[in-house]
This record gives sequence, structure tokens and C-alpha cells, in this order.
Amino acid sequence: MSGLRERMNRLRGASPQSSAAEDEAENRPLQDSDRLKPSEEEPEDRLSGEWSRMQVRTAANDWGSFLLREVFYPLDYQHGTHRLMELIDASAALSAFHRGSEETPAPSAYNMLFLDLETTGLGVGTGNVPFMVGLGYATFDRFVIEQSLIRHPAEERAMLAYLAEKLKNFDYLVTYNGRTFDWPVLAGRYIMNGLGRLDSRLLHLDFLHPSRSIWRNTLTSCKLSHIEEERLNIKRHDDVPGSLAPSIYFQYLADGDPAPLEGVFRHNEIDMLSLACLAIRFAHLLGGRLGIDVPYPEDQEELLRTGLWLDKMGLTDLAETLFARLADKDVPTGSWCLPLAARDKKVGNWERAVLLWQKIALSAEASALPSYEAHIELAMYNEHRSKDLPSALRYAESAMQLALRRPQSRRNDPKLRAELEAIANRLERLRRKQNKGNVN
Amino acid sequence: MNRWTGKASSLEDWLDHLRKQPEIMANVTHWHTIPAREAKTADLPADLHPKLIEALNIRGIERLFTHQSAAYRAVRDGKHVVAVTPTASGKTLCYNLPVLQSLLENESGRALYLFPTKALAQDQVAELQELANIMEVDLKTHTYDGDTPPTVRTAIRNAGHIVVTNPDMLHSAILPHHTKWVKLFENIKYIVIDELHAYRGVFGSHVANVIRRLKRICKFYGSAPQFICASATIDNPGEHAERLIGERVALVDNNGAPTGEKHFVFYNPPVVNQQLGIRRSSVLETRKLASLLLKQGVQTIVFARSRVRVELLLTYLQELEKGELGKKTIRGYRGGYLPKLRREIERGLRSGEIRGVVSTNALELGIDIGQLQACVLNGYPGTIASTWQQSGRAGRRQGSSVTFMVASSNPLDQYMIQNPDFFFNRPPERALIHPDNLLILIDHIKCAAYELPFEEGDRFGSESLTDMLEFLVEEKVLHRVQNRWYWMDQSFPAHNISLRSAAQENFIIIDRTEGSRVLGEVDRFGAPTLIHEEAIYIHEGVQYQVEKLDYPEKKAYVREVNVDYFTDANLAVELKVLHVDREAQSGSLVRQYGELTVNAKPTIFKKIRLRTHENIGSGPIHLPEEELHTSGYWFSFNEEAAAGKGTNEMQCALLGIANVLVHIAPLYLMCDPMDIRVVPQVKAVHTKRPTIYFYDRYPGGIGLSERLYEVHDELVRQAQSLIASCTCLSGCPACVGPIEEVGLLGKSQALELLGEARAVL
Repeated sequence: MSGLRERMNRLRGASPQSSAAEDEAENRPLQDSDRLKPSEEEPEDRLSGEWSRMQVRTAANDWGSFLLREVFYPLDYQHGTHRLMELIDASAALSAFHRGSEETPAPSAYNMLFLDLETTGLGVGTGNVPFMVGLGYATFDRFVIEQSLIRHPAEERAMLAYLAEKLKNFDYLVTYNGRTFDWPVLAGRYIMNGLGRLDSRLLHLDFLHPSRSIWRNTLTSCKLSHIEEERLNIKRHDDVPGSLAPSIYFQYLADGDPAPLEGVFRHNEIDMLSLACLAIRFAHLLGGRLGIDVPYPEDQEELLRTGLWLDKMGLTDLAETLFARLADKDVPTGSWCLPLAARDKKVGNWERAVLLWQKIALSAEASALPSYEAHIELAMYNEHRSKDLPSALRYAESAMQLALRRPQSRRNDPKLRAELEAIANRLERLRRKQNKGNVN
Repeated sequence: MNRWTGKASSLEDWLDHLRKQPEIMANVTHWHTIPAREAKTADLPADLHPKLIEALNIRGIERLFTHQSAAYRAVRDGKHVVAVTPTASGKTLCYNLPVLQSLLENESGRALYLFPTKALAQDQVAELQELANIMEVDLKTHTYDGDTPPTVRTAIRNAGHIVVTNPDMLHSAILPHHTKWVKLFENIKYIVIDELHAYRGVFGSHVANVIRRLKRICKFYGSAPQFICASATIDNPGEHAERLIGERVALVDNNGAPTGEKHFVFYNPPVVNQQLGIRRSSVLETRKLASLLLKQGVQTIVFARSRVRVELLLTYLQELEKGELGKKTIRGYRGGYLPKLRREIERGLRSGEIRGVVSTNALELGIDIGQLQACVLNGYPGTIASTWQQSGRAGRRQGSSVTFMVASSNPLDQYMIQNPDFFFNRPPERALIHPDNLLILIDHIKCAAYELPFEEGDRFGSESLTDMLEFLVEEKVLHRVQNRWYWMDQSFPAHNISLRSAAQENFIIIDRTEGSRVLGEVDRFGAPTLIHEEAIYIHEGVQYQVEKLDYPEKKAYVREVNVDYFTDANLAVELKVLHVDREAQSGSLVRQYGELTVNAKPTIFKKIRLRTHENIGSGPIHLPEEELHTSGYWFSFNEEAAAGKGTNEMQCALLGIANVLVHIAPLYLMCDPMDIRVVPQVKAVHTKRPTIYFYDRYPGGIGLSERLYEVHDELVRQAQSLIASCTCLSGCPACVGPIEEVGLLGKSQALELLGEARAVL
């Protein structure tokens, strides 16, 4: 063995750093925790006092044993802006996520399972092991958080088998980025552990994508920890960041001391609560409770994005009330105008689209570096829909003038060149049409 | 020959005409004609599916060549197979036939095809898809590589019958995510590895380990696929395949494909300076011959050894486009071209619109460009195997073809051109791999552990697996529970491990005289002595001075200068023998093989005046020392052989011999000349005698010096005969090296020393 190390060091060029870790390990005085090495020295069903202080007990099934921590919250527990009990009335609105799957009952507080994994690495490769599975669900009188932990990788199978049983009791799986991370990781682990295919009967509610739809331009990050702080008013104290979880777990594997794992349990626990609050938030949005249970967004961009998302979810009426707030008031034009006009154009709501374009066009003409997209839209509208050729020509001409105000330095930009060319073609065509009309 | 147009009616006619031209024939050292060969065929296999028979018939195939039939039989008998076939012998049917047959019998079956490059993979899919379309069966064949869009990846993973990929993709994308490929791994029947000979040296050693991992995953899913390999002609196809896949294989080498008559012409550019042994540029001679062929309307491929030469020859030959040939009829082809452009060129060659192509060895592999009539090799391609591969690009099943090999003044080229027997009568090189190289092995054990935990009793390579796993436990990437070892680390090991050797990375030379342009490349090992700061770098006769060497970025910035000196760097090489594994004596030469460490550090450079060669100054070189622990072989001369030689004379003699050996060593190895180093020492620390060392330029060694140790006698004999038969007076770049380097007596001293050492034999 030492022969192999010597050979490895020689081949690697024997840099002094490579053996530093080893020296450190050898020089380290024997610590109390060395006696706490898991599995061998300790009977599996008897846990040290440290564990029970953390509310951790052993669980066992046909596949072996693992650890389980259970925490209970009363349903009127307030986490940030919401109380957990809001789940009871609001959840049904989440059915908007799965229209057309009538065979599954609508979401309710009692058929949703919240899930979040802590894993040893990133990505969904086969070497990434979930060492902790956090589950959350509501019962008639409380909200339960169940966290399973494996003391070493050989316990994984028992933990996964336990999870598979748990999944049978629910219809919906609620995650944050679970579609691309938690679920594929679990599916892989079931195969790796010879447990076959993971039950795919559950419908998935992954809130990452709707969160991105709404907040991607207003928040600097769409990580759950950022959204909960900025929008759900949740403040964490002494939080162990999720990114540290793997190294804490490796340290536990090496020295058997469970104490530092408490921070990981706590972090995962808050994640489950925040996930539940996020579910409440989206349920309110979909249930038309904006302005009632949830305040209107202050930011116009966020208002617009919320409206567009509701529109996409098939709740056009709800979306429309938000759009109306944007368009009707004497709101100055902003970056929200063009996307809203584009949406109106798509659904044939020409009246407001034209209004918005005119608003944008006016303010564009006054700006130093004007955009001319609204002018082009108006030129198109007048040419093809209202058949008002003189107006169409007027807007196209203004668009050309505005485009030519772009600095000389950008003239070689292929995109601008293509746009200029397109405007020129439009002008030419409009003039031709008009002449023909005049002749007739 | 038509008197009026100057054009020949056929290639034979033109070759006859060429033979009457003394100014050409004076440089032809050998003209070898390989007679046409009839096809040897066999009936279509009796058990072949009717749809497959019909599809073959539609493609005009009524009978199989003998090797195709034998390969089919062997696969059907359940054997792992390696088929050895020259270019254009219909080798793809050797594996496509049994694979398609099996899929027709059972459509839930799966096959994995591995090609060394993406381009080859795409050709293959097109061919398979065509067959499937003719048969009107729903057979899904897909490439899976870096270019595959994420949207179709899931479909391929679940439903692809044949997945065509490359070893790098298998290593970093498929194996570490095997749970997404359950359908493939549960049902995999065949693994096809084409271009087997490409997997040699460091790359091959990595690939052998990737295959070990692949087999482990297959076993986990309860499958035991058969391997079907295809290789170009090498000396040891069976052994190489067995080492690569770790299984016994049946060898199929009864090539039954017909070939037309083939002319192989060795062409040595005339000597222009007898004293210095300088010949006319091989590039200019290549241009001359290729132009003659192209003007005759003969579709021609020109192979050159470097990208720079490809571009140079292309520029020269494209001048023909202004005359008799049309625009875009002569094209280049090399690694840096974009895939779309490459496809266009390949199509143009097949359709005949493109009349000439200048390529690096990128076109040596089995990319379908149809069959051309003539091939001109600018320089010996480095190995016999490559030479046949490249020459095989010219040669149709009917009609004649011709290959010209134009020698450069490099000793290996000169040896080949003067020893045609060696080329025509010797088996090609051996492909060597060393999958148990400790560094390579440990890297793949990490990847394998990431993919599946190891269990006591598992095997992976020849080292003690338990020791390796315990080492990784100490390194804190594995965690042991009872008799199992689990990956327990945040990293994704395959990302940090490249299958392609870092030694292939070159330094780029950038000329900043006007703006900045890339002048050329220098390999990593040459960089410290050739392009250190202040070095004079000579490129196409123009002097440049190195202003800055960015060592980490592998870039040297130079500026054109006009000075009356050149620079010569001293590289202090220290060799320490750690362990002697083998020892033998022949004649008075004692040779040993074992482990050694090499410390190399460039120390100073000298400025030497042109013509007078006086030393006019020097300067230090500040570059890091490189340490290499590797395997080596060395031989030393005894006192009698050394008697009567002063240190200086001995130095010149040894240097001369070393210069020859470094060039002819690749004759016995399928390797790049850069993979092996030769160092002469007048009084070696280890032997206390004049000694010549060889070592592998890869940590841990990859089996090259060991092979040289085995062919030692032959190697020394060839070295002696090369020096003796060189026409120069007292040393030239084609034998012991220029007299500037080895002195006026270098050649005779080297010969004398070798003569005495071998006299006792």
C-alpha cells in the first residue's frame, strides 16, 4: 500500500502538496470523535445522545436501517408572508398546472408531497448520492417534516425503499427544480440500488419554471433562498448554505461526529417550509387572490410577467385585470409596454396594442437613442389591418429617420444593417402601393 | 499519349510515358508494381434474413467477399471478432451484416458503435440508414456526440437501436449517466469498434480502460455483448484487440476484395548540396508530381504531414485552377476545417467535381470519399500502416492506380526510400498500449467507482485492485463500508480526465512583425529549446526572434529580424535509473530495461555566428524543470569498443548514433516520433560507460521502450546500415546529423563504434 503511494507520488512528480493532507491526518491528535466512527463500533439501533438531541431516531425495513428525523409544525404557523394553513383553501387552484389529467384528483393540502434532496455532488451523474431526503406534507392537524439520513452509502437502499412506500400516499410531488434534478437523481438511484423504476404516477409541481417566468427580470437570482427572502419575507438565521452540505456530510463519514449535521437538517427543514409557502403563493396567484391575499407587485415589470404567466396558464381573465392596471392608469411607458403589445397583437386585442404602440412611439421620438420597433408595428398595422396607407407610410418613414439616428459606429452591425434594409423595402413597397392606388 | 493535347488516354499510358522521362526517372529509386487481384467471394449466408438479402441485391451485392463472410460466420458463432482489412474492401459489412441480421431477428436488441472521430460516425449512420430504408424496417440509428441537440438526446437514449458515438463521449457522457441508458445496456448485443488501430499509445491505453468500464456497466445490467472490431493492417491486430477489449478474439484477415493494378513509386528529390547532404525541397517535388497528374485529369489526393504544409501545397496547386482546371476543383482538408465544409469536400470528391485534395492524415481514416486514381505522399507518413492506409485512397477495384512517395531529407524518409524491401516485405508496426499504466489506471478506477461501487473480489486491470481502492480511500474520494467501496466526493471525475494525451498540445508561434499571424507550431517537448525567449526561430529561411514565451498559454510571440547568428540551447537532462527489470547482452553491448526518472531543464543558450560558428554570446533560459518518471531502455558500449576514442570523439559518435536511432525507432513502434526520446551519455551515472538511453515520454511509460529493448539487435543493425548507405560525405541531416552538430568525423566515428560493438556478434 505504501509502495503504491510512493509510486503514485513519483509519477505525479512528487509535489510536496500532494502528501500534505496525509501528514495533516497523521499529526492530528486523536479526537473524541474518532471513537464515534459509525456502524462498526456502535450497534446500529442504539444512537448516541447527540442524535436524540437532534430528534433523530433509527428506522428500519426489509432492506436495512437508516436515520429519521421528524419535526412538526402547527398549521397556523406563520412562515414569512404566509400561514401553512392557507394550503387548505388555496391548493385547488394549482390544478391549472395539470389541466387535462382528470383521473388525478385536484391538488389539496393533503395529497401534495414536498420534496428536497441533499446530495453529495452536483449534476445527475451516477456518483451523486442523495444522503438526505427531506419530505413535507400536511395532515389534518399539523405539517410534518420527515428527513431521512443515511449513515453510510450502504444504507441508501433502505432509505429509498422507505421513500417509495411514502410516495404511494400522495398524488402530487412538489419541488423546486425537481424535474431536472431531484427526480432524475432519485430515478437513477433506484436503478443503481436494484429497486427498479421509480413510480411515475405522481404529477409534478416544479416551481422553478414559474418562478423564472415571473421574477427573471426583477430578481438577481431565481434560487429558492433568494426568492423567499425577497418575495416571501423569510429570514433565515445561522443558515448553513446548501453548498456546504456535501463537505459536512463527508466530514461526518470520516469522523462519525453528528453535531455539524444539525445545520444541514435545519437548512433542509426551512427549504421544505419555504417550498410550502411558495406553493401557497402560486396557488393564490392562480386563484385570483392577487390584491386580496397577496399584494400587487410594485414593479411594473413583475406585474407584466405575472400577467403573461397567468395568460400562459390559461387564466386570461386574471391576466387581463393585471394588464388593465398597467395600461389604463397614467403609467409612464416602460420596458413592459412592448411585450404586452406583442401579447395583445397575438390574441387580436388590437385596440390596446395600437394604443400601447402609439404611447411607445411618442416617447421614443423624444428620446436620445430611440427605438423604432413600435413605429414598425404601427406601419404594419396600418398597412395590413386598418388599410390606412398614408399612416403606414408615415410610421415607416419615421422608423427610417429614427434608425438613421443610430451612431455611425454601429452602421456595420449586421443586425442594424438588416433592419435598415427591411425598413427600406417596406417603404418602397408602401410607396408603390400608394402610387398604384392613386392611379386607380 | 496524344501528340496534340499532351494528354494520355489512360493512367497506364501516362505511366509508360513517365517512365521514358529521364529527368523524373533519375529520382525514382524504386518502382513497385502490385498486380491486380481477383475477387474471392462466398455465397450469402444461408441464414440471412430475406429483407437483408433483398437490400444487398438492390445495392448490387449478390455475393460476399471472403472476409465479410468469415466475419459474419464468426460473429454468429458467438465469438468476439477483429477483421483486418485494407482501405476500400467493404469492411463495414463485416459488422453491419451480423448486427442488422440480429436486429431483424429481435428488434429489442441494441448495438453501440465506436469511432475515433465524429465525422466517421456520421458517415456510418448515413450508410446504416440507407440500408434500413431499403429494407423498410423501423431501425433507429443515431449519432450521439457533442453536436447532438439536447432535445433529441432522450429519444436516442430510449429508442436508438444503434447508437454511434466516440470513446470520449462514452467516457464523459454515457457511462457516468448509465441509468439514463437502461434500454441500451439491458439489451446490448454488439459493441462495434472500428479503426481499432487508431487506439494506440496513451489514447489507446485510456480507451482500453473506458472499455473495461463499459463492460462493467453491461454486466450490471445483465448483458454480455460481443465485440466486433475492424482494423487497418497492423502487425498485431489480434493481440491489440485482445488487450484493448480484454477478451479472446477470432481474427478475420482473409481479404477477398479485388484490387486493380497498383504502382508504388519511391521518389527521392535530387541532392543539391553534396557536402551538407541537402536535397531539393520535398514540397516542391510533390507539387511537381501532383501538378503533372492533375493536368492529366487524374483525380489525385496529396497527403502532407503538417497543417502548414497542407496549406502551402494547396496554395501552389490552386494555381492550376487558373489554367486547365476550374474554380474550386482543388481543395484542402484538415482538422481545423468546419464539419460543413468537410462534408462538402467529401461529396465533391465522391462526385468527381473536385479533382484534387491536399490533406493531413485526417483523410487517412475511413471517411467515404470514393476511390481516387493517384496519391502523392509528401514525406513518409511515419508508419508503414499509415502509408498503406493513405496509399489505399488511390486504387479502384478495376483499373490502375499510382502512389508516389516523395521523401524529405529526414533520416526515416531516407531510410525508407533507400530500403524498399523493408517497406514492402516487413509487416507493419505493432500497435502498443499499456492500459495498466498506473496513472491512467487510477484515473479510470475513479471514474468506474463513480459509475458503480466496487466490491471485494472485483477485477480492474492487473494491479491489485484492493490496494488501489484503499489508496483512493486515503485520498478521500472513496468511502469503504464493509467489503464495498463507494464514490464519495463532489467532483465528476470524468471531466478532469482527457483521453487524448496532453503531449499532443503544441505551442503556437505568432508573428507580430505586422499585425499578428500564426507562423507555425512547435511540439511541447521542443518548445523549451526552440522557442525560449531571445531564441532565433527560423521559418522558411526567414529569421524570427522570440520576444515572449507564454508558457502556460502555449504561445510564443516572434518578430522578424535579420541577424548573423543562430541560437543553440543547452538542455540539461539528468537520468536516474530506479529499477532494472530486464537485462541481456548481445555482442559487446549490454542492454537493460527498467524504470527511470528524467529531469530536464533548459539552462543557457548560445549565440553562434553563421558560417564561422564562433560563439558570440550567451544568455540564461528561465523555464521550469520538468520531471518525468517513466520506463526506459538503454545499452552501453564496453571498454574495448570505446578504446582509442577521446571524450570528444565519443561524444560525437554517440550523438550521431542517437540521431539515427531516434528516427528509426518508430519503424518498430506505432507511435509519433515525439513519443520516444533518445539521450546519449559518454559516461552514464548508472553504467559508468558510454550509454544510449531511450525513454517513453509519458509518465509511467506506455510500453514503447520495452518493445525497443526486444528488437534491440535489429534496431542497431538498421542504424548501422542506414549510416553506411547514406551518400553524404561526413554526416548530413538524413543520417547522423549535420556536421555542425556531430563534427567532421561524426559519421565515421559513429560507424566505427557500431562496427566494433557488433563485430563480436
